[in-house]
Amino acid sequence: MLHDAGMLPRLLLALSVMSAPSRVAFPAELRTLPQDLHYCQELVARLATLPAGVQQPARGLGEEGELLCRTGHIRTGIARLRRALRVAQGR
Amino acid sequence: MSPPPHPRPDLAPHPRPDMPHAVPLAAATRRRGQHPGPLWQLLSSAGFRFALLFAALFLLAGLAFTGVLWWGTAGALDRQIDAAIRADAMALAERWRDAGDQAVADAIGERLALDAENQTLYLLSAPSGQRLAGNLEALPQGFAPDVQWYGMSLERDGIPGEARLFVLPLPDGSRLAVGRDVEEKLRLRALLTEGLAWSAGVALLFAFAGAALLRRALERRLAPVTATAALIAGGDLSPRVPLSGREDEFEALGHSMNTMLDRIAHLMEGVRGVSDAIAHDLRTPIARARNRLEEALANADDPAALHSALERGIADLDNVTRVFQAVLRIAEVEAGARRAAFAPVDLVPLLEDAAELYGATAEENGQTLRTEWPAALPLTGDRDLLLQALANLLDNAVKFTPDGGSILLKAELLEDAIVVRVSDQGPGLSLEDRERVGERFFRADSSRNTPGSGLGLSLVRAVVQLHGGTLWFDEGHGESLDKPGLAVCFRLPLA
Repeated sequence: MLHDAGMLPRLLLALSVMSAPSRVAFPAELRTLPQDLHYCQELVARLATLPAGVQQPARGLGEEGELLCRTGHIRTGIARLRRALRVAQGR
Repeated sequence: MSPPPHPRPDLAPHPRPDMPHAVPLAAATRRRGQHPGPLWQLLSSAGFRFALLFAALFLLAGLAFTGVLWWGTAGALDRQIDAAIRADAMALAERWRDAGDQAVADAIGERLALDAENQTLYLLSAPSGQRLAGNLEALPQGFAPDVQWYGMSLERDGIPGEARLFVLPLPDGSRLAVGRDVEEKLRLRALLTEGLAWSAGVALLFAFAGAALLRRALERRLAPVTATAALIAGGDLSPRVPLSGREDEFEALGHSMNTMLDRIAHLMEGVRGVSDAIAHDLRTPIARARNRLEEALANADDPAALHSALERGIADLDNVTRVFQAVLRIAEVEAGARRAAFAPVDLVPLLEDAAELYGATAEENGQTLRTEWPAALPLTGDRDLLLQALANLLDNAVKFTPDGGSILLKAELLEDAIVVRVSDQGPGLSLEDRERVGERFFRADSSRNTPGSGLGLSLVRAVVQLHGGTLWFDEGHGESLDKPGLAVCFRLPLA
């Protein structure tokens, strides 16, 4: 009985999932530009123009992001640099 | 004779030897009807159906609750995101109007640089379609100039997701697209869906369990009624539904059924009593008639004796016929068939006719008939039946009043009824006999030696009841202790 009872939510869930548009079978309708090292450098330059960008903790975050970008972890590096920019802007 | 109210169902035909296959088929069908499967039993149960209805209402309420919950969570999130996108797009468009493409490109760069969550999507494209700023490669596939809102699949650095996009045309033909990656929101929605699906499953489980419990409870409460009905159907009228003492609908049903069974038992007893009485009371005159005819046969050589014996035999048989007619008339009156013949009638001429008829008989016996009534006694009823009732009462009074005694016939008009009283100086009736005196063929011990069939008062009672009235007995105006007299009174409503 419990086994049968568990089937129903699974069935409902499966139906809801099946009714959602598939992401694998079709190509995406919208694409973002690839994030690259050039964009990392652009963010580093933007951080450098900010007065608070050379102070901690924004500077540390920026350096960390720049290092991550250089070592190939572009997405993580960009996220770190963006956080540094937010901190530098007092947000 | 009229057909029975519930015709019997046609009985299954007897199996014929030349139809060997018909027998097992019919038997199988009958077996299926008698022993349906457990699923069919469950579905055909009224308790289960009630419970199912309850479960459906329960689920409907659950769905309404889910709808509100969905609108308040996932719906609110959608609306919030759309509002943020629109506000952002409007701010950028305002900036474009103030400072042109480059200012918007700078603003987009600034916004993207601060998007630590990496959720924003921007695109500023020239009228030629060339990308000027933003992180989107191009406008969405299937872009239509007259459509502003898009919900579509997104590929961000090779990772699939979902996006919500607002495309705003700028006055120079440029297009500004602002959007959000809504993957997180979809994940939340999936979680919510899963939670609701589990809740619905559990609710359904509870609904079915509740239905089964309710069905069992109903069956348990109805079991005494069913068992009693089965015993009664088996021919035993004595069982009654055991009452639990709870003041609920099942108790009321059991109580009503017991009352009905008491009434049926009483009626059956009455029918049995009438049958016994008919058999007993008619046996004597029929046997007497037979004896007289036999006697006549023995004296066949004396024409005068033969003639006399035949006359007495015919008189005895006429008496039997009269009894039958009286029984049939009482049955007719009790069935209410005569009510259609009701008409406005004045009781005074009927009283006068009855008094004239029985006054002569009373006078022959040395009795006195005293009468007392107003000038008019109007009511609605059956003239013949009322006259018959008065005649029966006066007949009894004359029979039981000793010679030289008096009889009183009195009627009075009240505000809403007429009350008639026939009083005599006869032996009267004990209190026990008064309760039984309306029964057919009942005769008190003191009246055994008086001619009569025991049907006179039965007819009077039936006539009074047909007119919506009541009959009762009172003390008569007898002057000695052994003959206190009896007064038979009845009250007939005017309307």
